[in-house]
Amino acid sequence: MTRKEIIENIKRTARLYRREFYRMAERPVYWFAMVFAPLLCYVFFTTLMQNGMPESLPVGLVDMDNTVTTRNLARTLDAFQQVEIKQRFPNVTDARRAMQRGEIYAYFYIPKGTTHKANRQEQPNISFYVNYTYLMAGSLAYRDMRTMSELASGAAQRKVLLAKGATEDQAMAFLRPIVIDSHSLNNPWLNYSVYLCNILLPGILILLISILTVYGIGTEIKDGEAHEWMELAGGNIVRALGVKLIPQFVVFWFMGLAYIVLLYGYLNFPCHCGIPTMIVAMTLMITAAQGLGVVFFALLPSLRMGMSFSSLWGVLAISMSGMSYPVIAMHPAVQGLSYLFPLRHYFLIYVNSALNGYPWQYVWTAFLALLLFALAPLFFLKKIKYSVLNYTYVP
Amino acid sequence: MKFFYLRYWRESLNDWLFIFNREVRQIFHDGGALLFFIFLPLGYPILYGLIYTTESVHNVPIVVIDEDRSATSREYLGKVDATPDVRIVMDCPNMEEAKEMLRRREAYGIVYIPRSFDHDLAEHKAAHVAVYSDMSSLLYYKSVLTANTNVSLDMNADIKVRLSGNYTNKQDETARQAIAYESVNQYNPQAGMASFILPAVLILILQQSFLLGIGLLAGTAREGNKQHDLVPVERHHHGLLRIVFAKSSVYLLIYFVQSVYCLGVVPRIFELPQIGNPFTMFFFLTPFMISVVFFGMTLSTLIRERENVILVIVFTSLILLFISGISWPGAAVPKFWKAISYLFPSTFGVNGFVRINTMGADLLAVRREWDSLWILTAFYFFTACICYRFKIIRARIKTYKAYREERSRRSQGILTASEE
Repeated sequence: MTRKEIIENIKRTARLYRREFYRMAERPVYWFAMVFAPLLCYVFFTTLMQNGMPESLPVGLVDMDNTVTTRNLARTLDAFQQVEIKQRFPNVTDARRAMQRGEIYAYFYIPKGTTHKANRQEQPNISFYVNYTYLMAGSLAYRDMRTMSELASGAAQRKVLLAKGATEDQAMAFLRPIVIDSHSLNNPWLNYSVYLCNILLPGILILLISILTVYGIGTEIKDGEAHEWMELAGGNIVRALGVKLIPQFVVFWFMGLAYIVLLYGYLNFPCHCGIPTMIVAMTLMITAAQGLGVVFFALLPSLRMGMSFSSLWGVLAISMSGMSYPVIAMHPAVQGLSYLFPLRHYFLIYVNSALNGYPWQYVWTAFLALLLFALAPLFFLKKIKYSVLNYTYVP
Repeated sequence: MKFFYLRYWRESLNDWLFIFNREVRQIFHDGGALLFFIFLPLGYPILYGLIYTTESVHNVPIVVIDEDRSATSREYLGKVDATPDVRIVMDCPNMEEAKEMLRRREAYGIVYIPRSFDHDLAEHKAAHVAVYSDMSSLLYYKSVLTANTNVSLDMNADIKVRLSGNYTNKQDETARQAIAYESVNQYNPQAGMASFILPAVLILILQQSFLLGIGLLAGTAREGNKQHDLVPVERHHHGLLRIVFAKSSVYLLIYFVQSVYCLGVVPRIFELPQIGNPFTMFFFLTPFMISVVFFGMTLSTLIRERENVILVIVFTSLILLFISGISWPGAAVPKFWKAISYLFPSTFGVNGFVRINTMGADLLAVRREWDSLWILTAFYFFTACICYRFKIIRARIKTYKAYREERSRRSQGILTASEE
């Protein structure tokens, strides 16, 4: 290549950039999707779950016995962190109605004569009703109520043992011979924010990136400027696409940096691999999302189909990542599909590196997968060029 | 005078019919609108359902380290393996190997039984079992912990019975559990994921797809129009209420059919709990559908290009899901976000639908949601009318200005070549 050609190429690229900046500047929707929407989500999800774990979930109490013992029981339950006895009901029907009105997530039922039976060693029966329609609130309420019931039973037995002359230690060892020490690795607080925000924020970023990538290319056809665009790029599709995607990449990269700083720098979520590794993962993730967008456009070269599929994929990715519901438990037909979602690979990187701090050999495949997503458009260059030049916009 | 009224009504009915037909034609001739109005609500629930249809996690692979190797420890592990929650995939000689299994993601939990386990039990001391779980998904933690807690409680009871040296079965029973308790899972008996998340997702799909569809159509109308106006200036488009009612009745008609499918058929396909009274459901969903349509029409006046609507609406779905109080308990949603959530029909729609469909509530139990939806309906009807009125006035002013310009040009005798 001669000197003249190089200068010509640089000029051409510069003109292309100028054109791209003008396009981005005159469409407010770019800035809405690149800056406003991610920031809104960052603020929303981190403030929504700022306590980490929901506290004082309202539960009800139906105490038909109403003795010192049962009142004591209720007070103990109230003192648990996750539940709070908000209402007392005269009967089960009223409690059930309150549950249907959504006022309480669960209720505790103590039938008449419980204390009497317990004192006479006649094994009374108490029960709790948990509304699992609200699975998470239900599970938390269940845990506290079950612990409570175990404690109640233990307290009754302890009373008998102490009366028989056992010491406190002997009584405890008799009551609980096997003790479970539970260790939740690397998230000992069971912090939901750590668990959800780490995937929701990048998930939304991927969603917006892939939609916007299709939008950027598709609007060229829609506005009838595709030929001008390709001409300016000298018929070089790589240059045309590169110049189109790099400015978006830069803005999104800073948005990615923002969530990394927010999560690991400001909120101090576990990050055992160090922030630089996560920045590398985030960078790869953004390129992968752009790659995915380009591939969608190549496969479905119409603006609306491309954008719709990007959104479909992006929203499904949150479920398919295996964060809320493990991939190994999904329907077999869906399990294999999970590899086609960049967020799944990002999730594996996050879990293995940031959360658990495993060394490189356990995550390199996920990095490679993201890289493949980023490089995938290379296989479709001809197709994209053809469709950009020949397709007309279909509303 | 009487005939004048009659003419007025006939005319408005004609306009109504005209706009109605035009809108229907537009929807069925527009691939994008078809996609959002018809195919998205048809297909998306099925895809979503397939992900969660297994309902709960069973047989999470775990590894064990049994340093005690006694009959009791083997009994313990055998019982853990027999629970539906976990399955032991490997007996590791030491912790390092167990951790390696975790790192390779071949196991998601470790149960460690120390050497002194049986010895402590024999000495009437507390015997500890350490349980470690991978926290990449909380469901792993839940499974591993549930299995171990259940087995330990069960064995504890047996040990207590053995130690107390009772004479009768009744005494044994009391020794096992002085106060018996039972837990009842209401409305979602298997504590399943699909039964929990799918009803909320269905309502959200309905809302978002219609917001997308209505926005898309408005965008198309503005693009197809000479002056980029939402409302064209012509004979049939002059009554505000006629335009708003005609358009909304088209959307409502499609909405009704899609609701029957999404909320009536899809839960059947995936065998979700469905104990609601269909009439209650209908009464409840009426204000939901109307408010979504008017909300969509209000939003659509802000959409300039048809594809922008995707960028604006889609990402809010996740926010709306979390804000609605299903996946994140409503009692734990901060006040500020709660106030924001009242602006969206989905918040009330999700809560009401879940309670009627899954929990068998009657209309009285969802009274607050029902009232709120009617208030939203009135509010968004009002905003839709204001926005459309504004658009109509603007379109007329524009047309009038264009007409004035044209006339002044003509009166000055400046005619362009084409006009000559």
